[in-house]
This record gives sequence, C-alpha cells and structure tokens, in this order.
Amino acid sequence: MKKICVIGAGYVGLTTGTCFADLGNLVTIVDIDERKVENLRQGVLPIYEPGLEEIVRRNAQSGRLRFTTSYAEGVRDAEFVFIAVGTPSGAEGEADLRYVRQAAEAIAEVMDHPIVIVNKSTVPIGTGDWVADIVNKHKKNDVPFAVVSNPEFLREGSAVYDFMNPDRVVLGSLNREAAEQVAQLYLSLRAPIVITDLRTAEMIKYASNAFLANRISFINEIASICEALGADVKEVAVGMGYDKRIGPSFLDAGIGFGGSCFPKDVKALAHMAAIHGCHPQLLRAVLEINRDQRRRLVQKLRDILGSLDEQVIGVLGLAFKPNTDDMREAPAVEIIHLLQNEGAIIRAYDPVAMRNAKAMLDGVTFCENAYEAAQGADALVICTEWNEFKHLDLKWIKEAMRRPIIVDGRNIYDPETMRQLGFLYRGVGRGYGV
Amino acid sequence: MKRICMIGVGYVGLVTGACLADLGNKVVCVNRDEKKAANLRKGILPIYEPGLEEIVHRNKEAGRLFFTTSYDEGVKDAEFVFISVGTPSGLEGEADLQHVHDAAVEIAKRLDHPLIIVNKSTVPIGTGDWVADIVRENMPDPSIPFWVVSNPEFLREGSGVYDFMNPDRIVLGSLSREAAERVAELYYPLQAETIITDLRTAEMIKYASNCFLATKISFINEIAAICESLGADVKEVARGMGTDKRIGPHFLGAGIGWGGSCFPKDVKALIHMATTHGTRPQLLRAVMEINYDQRKRIINHLRDILGSYRGKVVGLLGLAFKPNTDDMRDAPSITLARLLVAEGAQVKAYDPVAMETARRAMQDVPVTYCNDPYEVAKDADALILVTEWNEFKQLDMQRIKSLMRQPVLMDGRNIYDPPRMRELGFIYRGVGRGHNGGLIRNR
Repeated sequence: MKKICVIGAGYVGLTTGTCFADLGNLVTIVDIDERKVENLRQGVLPIYEPGLEEIVRRNAQSGRLRFTTSYAEGVRDAEFVFIAVGTPSGAEGEADLRYVRQAAEAIAEVMDHPIVIVNKSTVPIGTGDWVADIVNKHKKNDVPFAVVSNPEFLREGSAVYDFMNPDRVVLGSLNREAAEQVAQLYLSLRAPIVITDLRTAEMIKYASNAFLANRISFINEIASICEALGADVKEVAVGMGYDKRIGPSFLDAGIGFGGSCFPKDVKALAHMAAIHGCHPQLLRAVLEINRDQRRRLVQKLRDILGSLDEQVIGVLGLAFKPNTDDMREAPAVEIIHLLQNEGAIIRAYDPVAMRNAKAMLDGVTFCENAYEAAQGADALVICTEWNEFKHLDLKWIKEAMRRPIIVDGRNIYDPETMRQLGFLYRGVGRGYGV
Repeated sequence: MKRICMIGVGYVGLVTGACLADLGNKVVCVNRDEKKAANLRKGILPIYEPGLEEIVHRNKEAGRLFFTTSYDEGVKDAEFVFISVGTPSGLEGEADLQHVHDAAVEIAKRLDHPLIIVNKSTVPIGTGDWVADIVRENMPDPSIPFWVVSNPEFLREGSGVYDFMNPDRIVLGSLSREAAERVAELYYPLQAETIITDLRTAEMIKYASNCFLATKISFINEIAAICESLGADVKEVARGMGTDKRIGPHFLGAGIGWGGSCFPKDVKALIHMATTHGTRPQLLRAVMEINYDQRKRIINHLRDILGSYRGKVVGLLGLAFKPNTDDMRDAPSITLARLLVAEGAQVKAYDPVAMETARRAMQDVPVTYCNDPYEVAKDADALILVTEWNEFKQLDMQRIKSLMRQPVLMDGRNIYDPPRMRELGFIYRGVGRGHNGGLIRNR
C-alpha cells in the first residue's frame, strides 16, 4: 500500500486515482472545485465512464479513496503526487499549461518531505524539466523530489479497462530510481514497462496519439479515392488490417476523429514542431483531412437534396464516439453548425450526450429516440456509431421520413441492404460513384 | 495439380511461379527475352532472392517448372494464366501498363479453352476491367468463357519465398465469385486468411497497404525531425509507440527513408490516380515529400559538420535500398552519391551484394567501389551508413576509426548505440536521436 495524491478530478485524474485505490493504495484526489469535490464525496461523478462510479463508491467506502480541495491535506503524507490537470488547447494550438503551473506551485508550497511528482497530463516536450524548475523555485522546505513523466493512454469509454490492462506503461525521468519507484505502482498490472528519459516519454504520448489520428486520416484519404474509383473502403480496410505490419485498428473511414485528445495532441505537436523550426507537413495533412471529412458529409447532403435550406435533417449520435457523453470536438457539432448555416432544420438524438449537447447547440430539436429524430426528416445523418443505431427498425424509419435518404458518416449499415429497403444511401468511401 | 501459366519472370513472376510449382502444380513461365529464358533453363536467375535458386532448381528437375518464350506453349493447356509483368512508373507517376496490355492481347489470341486470368502485377484501380475488355476484343472465339481475378502480391524482396509460403492474407477480387474461389484453392495449402472481394477493391487493397507502410515510415521520420529539435530519442519513442497494439512495432525505424521498386512507385501511382479523378491526396503527398527530404537532410547535417564537401572523402556503407537484396531501384544511396559528388566530394562505397547492380545504376556517378567496409573507411572524412546490413552491425569500430581521416559517422539507419560511438571517439549523428545523438541545444 502506497500513499498517493492525485491533483485534478477530471477524466484522467479520477480514473487513475480510483484505479490506484482499487489496487490497494491510499489515494487522495485534490480538486480546487468545491462543488465537484462535494459531489464526489456523495458519489456523484462529473463525467460518465462505464464502471467508474461503482469503483469510486467501493473505494470511498473502504476508506482508500478521499476527495479534498486542500493541497495541504492531499500532499501531506503522499509518497507520490500525480499531476492530472487539464491542458486545453491555446489559441495557436499550443497546450495551455496554466493548470500544470498552478499545481506545481501549490505542491511546492506544501511539500515538506521527499516526494515523487508524476506528470500524467499530456504536456509539451520539455514540461517535465519546467515543472522541476517551478518546484525548485517555489519550495518552502529544502527536501528532495523527482519528476517522472507517466503519460496516460486511457480511452474514454473504456478507461477503467485500459488502466487495468495497459499495452505498456511509459515512464520517463532523469532519475532512474524514481522511475522505478513509480513502476512498482504498476507491477501488479503485468504490463511491459518502458523506462526512458523525460522528453522521450513525453514524446511517446504525442507520437502515439498522432499516429492513431494519422491512421484515421489515412483511411479517410483512401476513402475519398475509393469513392472516385469505385472501390469499397470498408473491405480495403479489412484487406489491409490482416497485414501484421498494419493491423486492423483505427482504420474506420468516416467523419473523422474528435474528442479531447486527438485534435488537441496533434495540434500541440504540430505547434511544437513549427516553433522549433520543423515543418510538420504530415501532421498538418492529418488535421486538414479530418476537418474536410465533416465538410464532405455536408456536401454529400447538399448534392443529394439540392439545397439544404428548410430541409429537415435528423442527426443520430452527437458524442464524438460511442459510450461517452463527451462532446468536445465532436464532428456532430461542426456538422450541425454547417447544416444550420445553410438553413437546415435539425432534429437530433444521442443516447447519453444530450445534456452536454444541449449546452453547445442552439436551435436544435432534441428528440427522445432515433425514431423521433427521423420523423418528417428529409435525410438522416449518422454521426456516432452507437450500438443501438445498428439494429434500428429501418422500415419504420423509412415510413417516418419525408424522404428516405441516409448519409452514414460511420459506415454502420450495409449499402446493399439499405438499397433493398428503398433508401438512397451514402456511406463514406463505399464506391457508389462508379 | 493445376496447370498454370506465368507471364513474366521478373521478381514477382519468378517467385510466384516457382512457389506454385513447389506446391505441386505444373507451371510454365513465359517471357519474351530469349537469353533470360535460356539462362533460367540452365538454373541462372535474373535476380538475387534468398532460397529461390534452390526451389527453381528442384522444381525444374521434378518436371513441374518450365521456361519458354512461347505464349503458345504457355497458354495451351493452362487453367490459370497469371500476369506478373512489370508496371514501371510513367512520366507523371502513373503506372505504365504497356506490358500488361501486350500480355492480355497475346493471351486473348490463344484463348481456345475456358481460362482464369489472374492479375499479379500491381495495377491501377480499374485495370482488371480493362484487361477483360482487351481480351474480349482480341479473342478469336467470343463464346469461350474467361474470368479476370485480381490477386495482388505482397512479397518483400529478401524474403519473397517465405512471404509466398506464409502470407498474412490472400486477396482475391473478381466479378465472378466462383473464379475467385478457384484461385483461392491454389493457395489452400498455405492456410491463410482469404479475402474475396470485387476487382477494384482488391486492386485498392494493394495500393492502400503499401501506401500505409510508406506512411508509417514517413510518420516516424517526421517525428524524428521533431525529436532532434526537442531533445527526444526517436528510437525509444518508436519502442514506446510500438508496444501499443493499435500501432505495432513494424515500419517505425527512422532513417533516410524508403526506396526500392514498390513503395515509391505505388505511392506515386495512387497519388496520380487520385489526382486525375478529382481528389487531392495531401497525406500521400506529404509522405512522398518527407521521404525524399530525408536523403537531403543527412547531406545537410554532414555539411554542417564538415564545413564543406569540397575535397572531402565520404564513404557509403551499403548501397542496396534495403538489406538482403541487390536491388538498387530508387535506392537512397544513389541520391546521396549524386549530391555528394555534385558538391565536390569523393565518394567510396561498399555493399555486400549490390556492387554489380550499383555500378549499373550509377554509371554516370564517379564512385570508388571497395572490397570491404575497412577499405571504405580508409582516409575518409566521413562515413554514412546507408543500408542496415547485418555485417555492418558488428564492425571493428576502433579499426574503422583509426583508418579514417576524421571520425565522423552518420548513421542513416540508427544501427549504432550513440553513447558507445561517442566513447569510441566518433562524431556520431543518428536520425532523430535528439537526446542520445548529442543534438540537444536547450537541455
């Protein structure tokens, strides 16, 4: 049992802290938001993540997981302090490190015994050194500390599983001993552990996310070529995926990636590269293709409907991916804005993200279910591949719609079946052009 | 036992034909070059490929593998005719289909029994349909049925035989599912995943797969450049990335980029197809540009160290575009040699097997060819490791250093350990090794 303090009760901090508690450690999660902490004490989570609520409750009850707004309380007995605060995108795509700085200063001020400071937040390369500088400058007591970078690789929607079953644990530090102490925390997960220097560990996180984003933009570029040449990108992806050197993941053509990680991390890496004299043309292409995918969907609708003005468009799925209520950088938001700009009337439905979506979208009729969204629609658009959309009663849907048009932004339907049902169906990259 | 005719005895045709014979089929290989066919009958191969010579010899002896210049002889009894002729890059990056066209016409003229025509060559999307049209126009008796199946090859030079026998997957595309299934039977003994799809999709799978692998390398090379600026080590970054199951460890070696007869040709061809059909393949263009910039970057790096190339001796270790092949097509070494000579350097070089092909590929470049790496190192101002042959990994580096005029070592494939090279007294530069490569400016 180790004593751990986690700064930040956001998605990463909460998952990490809770899972460490579940592994038997004593964890205190510090967040400066009083209401959030109060809610957490009552078992009310600020985010939706499958399975998390139960683990929070279990560990809170057993006394291994506590929540506080006080740094002093959190850091007091801690051997490890994890920084897991947000790093939003700044105006130029750079990561905004304000919260990391605040955390580092606050830790420095209350630190009165040796600790290992572990950076979980995705931070620009060089931040580990910078955090060490801040702590050195602000520390009140002359006690030794080490900084370790330990990037998170949690996916929203399966974060608990990902924490417990990591592909690898990455640790970077100038102090190998500190890195090995952190490694001890993860030993019971039996994952490969990569120990390297700080900057390289920070880069591993960016490069990994950027590569996955690259996979998606790659297959989307291939999808566009497939449309022009009459091939089916879904089968192309299957054929590619069997190649062991390629693998099957992240090869789904569609309206592109969103969420709080990929767009932010690719932008941040491109920004870092550019301000250090590199010309990150591949990363820029990845971002631009991703944006274009959303516009292409709108263009498809416009081509089919003639004009979008006064057309009723039903939007199925709003969250940036299934099994989350996260709406950050969700393709649906941009698509709905583009459609509204051209005068379309939007009816939308999402199984869990409606509350978050309502705060971001004006002038949208939010529906109780998919069938209601289809009611009287001139076209239906699939923006998120929720399971519940895969086996809709499409005959019913067709009857309810004014025109039987489906533009499937996630390729969840079989084009042939849809045609047989009498839909005018368009997927992404499915060769209908020829 | 099936009767198979193989058109073309280049790298793909020869490996495929010999291996299909080795699986027990009767294979007749047809090509137009008398001397090549005569050599093959004597067991002399036009290319170097580990293990192939033995398989050719064995199956020739067993009477299952034949070489001829006559289409009559090849097509006569065949149930399957494989087209595996070359598809070089045309001027605009498009695939040049002249040989495919000629093969289709010759097959059509002799089409007097039902036949499955299998396309092995990497051909633009839509070529399967086009081949069918050509055959239809040129066949004497239009009532005889024939089918076109696309069956792209995924053989790597240097391990072509192994790859044929142990495929990750077999891709078959056809408008006739039955024809595709008959071709699938030929591969049945290999027990591989088989994907049956339409013609165009099968053709696209080949391009998309190669382009993706090329993208992986250009991606890690872009990351390498960023690592150099920011003080991270791309080799460890790749290791950290590669353990992610969704990424995988393959094709993440930063270096001076890819060459050879496949990646450059296929990426260019897909860019060409995309552009001529109204799409803008910006990612593929970036992949291409990054790849060719890598060659120039190393020249630039070395110039920074040497000051100027004028009067300097630069040694190249490795010439082939990758290890275990003598293939010099679009090898980075050619670009390097040209750029070095153009800037006034004297170039020495050694490669374990590609010396002959290199001489031919670089007739217009004054290169001194050496007998071993130590001869290359003698009096050199710098060495560039160009191809990661195993024999370069365990050189006597102390001896190398003592032979050189200046101990400058540019490791274009990151095969050496940076701290170790520095201990030995080399001025060492890898690709993207910001931390370990000693390139850190702001640390």
